[in-house]
Amino acid sequence: MAASVVPETDSIRRAVLLLNAVDPGRFPRLLSRLLQRLHLKAETSFSEEEEEKLQIAFSLEKQDLHLVLEAISFILEQAVYHNLKPASLQQQLQSIHLDQDKAEAFANAWAAGGQETIEKFRQRVLTPQKNLKKVFVEFSHQELFEFYNKLETIQAQLDSLT
Amino acid sequence: MAAVAVGKAAGAAYGHGESSGGSGGFLGPRVPAEVEAMARGLQEVGKETFRRLLKVTVNALEGKDCKDSVKLIAESTDLSEEQLAFLISGMYTLLREALRLPLSTFKQEVFKEDLKELRRPVSEGTALMQASRLPNVQDFKWRVDVAISTSSLARALQPSILMLMKLSDGTAHRFEVPVAKFQELRYNVALILKEMNDLEKRSILKIQD
Repeated sequence: MAASVVPETDSIRRAVLLLNAVDPGRFPRLLSRLLQRLHLKAETSFSEEEEEKLQIAFSLEKQDLHLVLEAISFILEQAVYHNLKPASLQQQLQSIHLDQDKAEAFANAWAAGGQETIEKFRQRVLTPQKNLKKVFVEFSHQELFEFYNKLETIQAQLDSLT
Repeated sequence: MAAVAVGKAAGAAYGHGESSGGSGGFLGPRVPAEVEAMARGLQEVGKETFRRLLKVTVNALEGKDCKDSVKLIAESTDLSEEQLAFLISGMYTLLREALRLPLSTFKQEVFKEDLKELRRPVSEGTALMQASRLPNVQDFKWRVDVAISTSSLARALQPSILMLMKLSDGTAHRFEVPVAKFQELRYNVALILKEMNDLEKRSILKIQD
């Protein structure tokens, strides 16, 4: 079994306590939502209204809500990083004392959307395309044909990787 | 980075047969009146003004709005509006016809000869032709990389492509292409090639060199 991927820091311990206390009813939906937006970490924050709704729904103060959301995101990012199987994830979470029903909810959400999320992280190019500029190039028929052959060579290399 | 490939398929049929000898070359057997008028009018135009007129003409060919630029030229020279109109329309016609030629048919030497016939300053004319043409690819280098591990994924094994394109205008572009984008590029190039083939098959008049 993989080494513990969720370290038992003070924040995590506190987050686990809070998580165990929240209403399990809406929990799965929250997990799915966070999982879907995980690869957009920067813009993941909920709007003011959404945050207020969450505070009410889960009976959490603003600070505690933030801690809980951070913890869930962290756990999911670790699952992505290690490409955890749902069962492993559940085991790991239970070993840091998360209640079984919540751990199971994590495993289910991960089983449903994990691969898709991993794929999104794969596609995330390290160089952000902010220096995008348009360049116009002209090709004659012959030149374009030669260019195409080079692209085919590249494709052959890509194919040889799989 | 997006490189847009513009393929010039066999274009308009312009008999470029014998160019010199007073036949007008790419402008056809009869030189259009406005081009003649322009050629005459340009005798009195200074180099700087000519360059600005050239710029305006090119912009007009690209579909940009030139009213303001033309006004500026009118204000800073002592050319009448009428003279300006002749000059610009003549240059516009000249360039438009020259640009309709397929790349392979366009030969600098012949073009220079044609321009001489029209009594145009040869250097500026060809400089303009270069500027209006898009550059082509002089050198293309590539590399397939595989990201083994990233801060998000311990085992990523994600391929990506690095490209280096050197263009005929001296610029070089180095950029990364995600695999999905590469497939798009390959698909579009194949599509254009197919369309070029179709066009060439259908074209009754083929430009032979």
